[in-house]
Amino acid sequence: MRMLWAWIFVWVSLVSVGVGEDDSRGSLVRVRASIQAYDQFRPWQKKSPFGLNGTGVVLPGGKVLATAALVANRTEVGLEKPGSAEKCAAEVEAIDYEANLALLQPTDRNFLKGFSGVLLGPALRAGDKTEVWQLERNGEMLRNQAEILSAGVGRYPSDEAGFLVYGVRVSLPKRDDSYTLPLMKDGQLAGMMMGYDRDSQEGTAIPVPMIEHFLKDAADGKYEGFPTLGVSWSPLRDPNLREEVLAPKAGGGLLLTRVNPRGTAGRAGLREGDVLLSVDGYKLDEDGNYRDPLYGPTAVGNLIRTKPTVGSPARFRISRNGKEMELSGSYDRKARDEVAIPTLQFDIAPKYLVVGGLVFQELTGTYLQEWGEKWSERAPQRLVELFTFQHEKRPNPERKVVFLSQVLPSPITLGYLQLSGLVLEKLNGREIANLTELAKAVDDVKTGDLVFEFRDEPGKLILQAQDLPSVSEKIGKDYGLPALRRL
Amino acid sequence: MVNGVLRVWVLLLIPLLGSCGKGDWQLSEARENVVMIEVTAQTWDYRLPWNPGTVSSSRGAGFVIDGNRILTNAHVVSGARYLTVQREADPRKYPAKVLHVAHDCDLALVQVEDSEFLKGTTVLPIGEIPELESVVSVYGFPIGGDRLSVTRGVVSRIDYNSYTHSGRESHLAIQIDAAINPGNSGGPVMQADKVVGVAFQGFRGDVAQNVGYMIPTPVIRRFLKDVEDGHYDHYVDIAIRWMPLENPAMRQYYHRPNDGLGVVVTDIFSEGSADGVLQKGDVLLSIDGHSIESDGSVRLDGQPVQLEEIVERKFAGDTVDLEVWRNQALEKRKITLRPAEMFSMYENLYEEPPRYVLYGGLVFQPLTANLMAVLVGSADLRLRQTYTLFGQDQIYRETPEPVILSSVLPDRSNVYLVGLAGQVVREINGRRVRTLADVLPALEAGGDRTVIRFEGDQRPAVLKKAEADQVMPRIMTQYGISEAHRTDLGGRRLAKGSWKKEGEGK
Repeated sequence: MRMLWAWIFVWVSLVSVGVGEDDSRGSLVRVRASIQAYDQFRPWQKKSPFGLNGTGVVLPGGKVLATAALVANRTEVGLEKPGSAEKCAAEVEAIDYEANLALLQPTDRNFLKGFSGVLLGPALRAGDKTEVWQLERNGEMLRNQAEILSAGVGRYPSDEAGFLVYGVRVSLPKRDDSYTLPLMKDGQLAGMMMGYDRDSQEGTAIPVPMIEHFLKDAADGKYEGFPTLGVSWSPLRDPNLREEVLAPKAGGGLLLTRVNPRGTAGRAGLREGDVLLSVDGYKLDEDGNYRDPLYGPTAVGNLIRTKPTVGSPARFRISRNGKEMELSGSYDRKARDEVAIPTLQFDIAPKYLVVGGLVFQELTGTYLQEWGEKWSERAPQRLVELFTFQHEKRPNPERKVVFLSQVLPSPITLGYLQLSGLVLEKLNGREIANLTELAKAVDDVKTGDLVFEFRDEPGKLILQAQDLPSVSEKIGKDYGLPALRRL
Repeated sequence: MVNGVLRVWVLLLIPLLGSCGKGDWQLSEARENVVMIEVTAQTWDYRLPWNPGTVSSSRGAGFVIDGNRILTNAHVVSGARYLTVQREADPRKYPAKVLHVAHDCDLALVQVEDSEFLKGTTVLPIGEIPELESVVSVYGFPIGGDRLSVTRGVVSRIDYNSYTHSGRESHLAIQIDAAINPGNSGGPVMQADKVVGVAFQGFRGDVAQNVGYMIPTPVIRRFLKDVEDGHYDHYVDIAIRWMPLENPAMRQYYHRPNDGLGVVVTDIFSEGSADGVLQKGDVLLSIDGHSIESDGSVRLDGQPVQLEEIVERKFAGDTVDLEVWRNQALEKRKITLRPAEMFSMYENLYEEPPRYVLYGGLVFQPLTANLMAVLVGSADLRLRQTYTLFGQDQIYRETPEPVILSSVLPDRSNVYLVGLAGQVVREINGRRVRTLADVLPALEAGGDRTVIRFEGDQRPAVLKKAEADQVMPRIMTQYGISEAHRTDLGGRRLAKGSWKKEGEGK
């Protein structure tokens, strides 16, 4: 799970080919995003703001396509015409951080009048020649010749799941507005560049099938996202393992090692230990690949995520204890969205509650990432455990992880100051499933003990309810907190 | 073997005179009694547990005490295959043997059989804890030359500190600002004409300067007393966790007056000394008659020390008396002390050879600090968390000794299993694996295939029994392995665990 920011482009100065031509006019627009993320360690405030400049693709109809990384944690997004300094604010109409795509709508609907827009081109294959377009300062188009090196399932910046991705070889000169760039083929959009390494001169691009799926989903104004299966699986090449799980002698299929009962597969009746033989009529081989008409053997992830949409029917053929059967259901993404500890929290203000100096938060993947590259070693180990193994440790998505993240010194937190990273279980004997419940439980007690019970040592912390009003006010003032809670 | 910031060195030192004026006398005394110990040691390789390990040489110090014995650090003589001692005043090198080694407090006793060696030596008497700011001298053979070196400094701090040789123990240690460098280890720290400590560890130069540590005399005395019966036992542990009782609301909750006394018990480790005697939420008010301050300190010889220091000086089978505040009433409780085997996983192992089971190219090893040290770079999160949370979550109750598939020796029979290295074994052929001793019998169980299941959502490893047996000679020849397994615990004890054992009634 790497931060999107790790993918900020580094550009090299190198030769490029081609000059601006007329047919490229009216296709690109500069996107200026002002970014300010929440500070997960001080959830009441935001971090230093900074700007990102990219190039968006104008679609027919006047909306603009960009990468999600360009506008994540934005405070403001603006568009600027290439040939002039004419500007217009933009709204984000749909955004998908997993797929790294965003659809922008200028607030002035006439701003892009006269822009013809770019049509989506065909899907490309390894070896295809293509171009990466950049904007010169004067608005002229710079076309860099590029070649598709690979097309297959790979990791995206969010590192959430495998999606189809192009490997692209291209020499890109250093230009402004290059955080996001279009990959073009014969004047049509072939993909969006999302990463580039100047040493190897190789980059990655989001391919058109992904973009098509995204735009189709966004068209009705209600964005749902890419479906997921909700399983872990293992290849089934090992003949001993095949024999053990009674996999078909004819070969093929993968072994499900975990099935989320809430997910697409789980609700269709698939179980741990099943051998998944085919999905929607596509046979799976022993390595988990289906045969894609365009790309050849491709990881099953692409089949599930790119072809169907949320709500469309799903068909599975499995072998269970040696007996083959068909199961069906419908695609969704509950296995990813309905979880106790959410991962992608861009643009979302972290929840917190300050009780007399004890700061409680709800655990998210974004909080853990705040511990840096080695978060899994540096963050409190209990939190890492709950997050990483949440399908075992917190299978109920309603039961969030409320934890004491830090203690602000106050007259009533004497002796508690060193504590942090403690998972809260109960307040005054009452189970606490989320931060709102905790706030309510605290508010309900006017006098007497507030007994906080934690999963780990020291087990219990005590505050006196009657001390809270005066102390809270003082803490707010002393530490300059704009509010003592955000629920 | 050593991690993090605190890197323990092998030090050789001899104490010199503390107060002024007596320096010359003391130095001559030291010349007679401080010895250079040269050790050829072998270190086991936990990556290749069947190998006898790498041979290395090092140098440390020691000094003659009563009973023709030489006191030094455990880390000076760890894994020693051959060692010699040499006095400043006698150029001969005498072969010596290790009598006792206590890795938990980093002390060892060495003996020279040749009676020639003792001629001209006296016995260095053992003193008390020196005063803060008083001057001490450190004797040894640190880097920078081959002859006896003396450095001098003051006592900077007397406090609990970790003893990094063992990897998990903390005992009383005295910080001094005399230069202590590799080669000083085991040397005496002197004040007046008495030994007040044994130099044993310091910081790397890029971390801190003029910070050296010595083992104080209460720890030395305890060690010498422990070995009187000819055998060294482990330190005992009260095996509880406690929290300072400083917060006013918390004091009120536990109905304690604001007298600045008492700590709250927050955890009691199953199978530990206090198991069944103390409860969570007990307030400890005194230990062996010493009042416990709300920060957990007690006064001992006028010095504030952590309450564990009372336990530290005792032996297995000894008792401590506690005054416990429970349910708003004062109760007296007696705890019989015992070692805390359940934490022994965190102890670095030195003498005993690594234990393992080899089966069809799969290498099973128990999870130990030594194994973790070689796997740490590649360990996945499941393995790291099993290690980190083993004590805290009392995993030992279910699994006294987690077994790891530590590596897969590639062979044409196991090509699909190589990726499973590093997984935590849960069961073999349907039998739960709780210690390494469970592995061999479990491999025998079941039908034609052996099925090994791991923690988490990993695929199982499946082997044909006949094939696994058949390929063993080939694998052992190719990888130079003489023994297919080594499972003997060699006297070390594990936690007993508290799962419902087969055959036991409800």
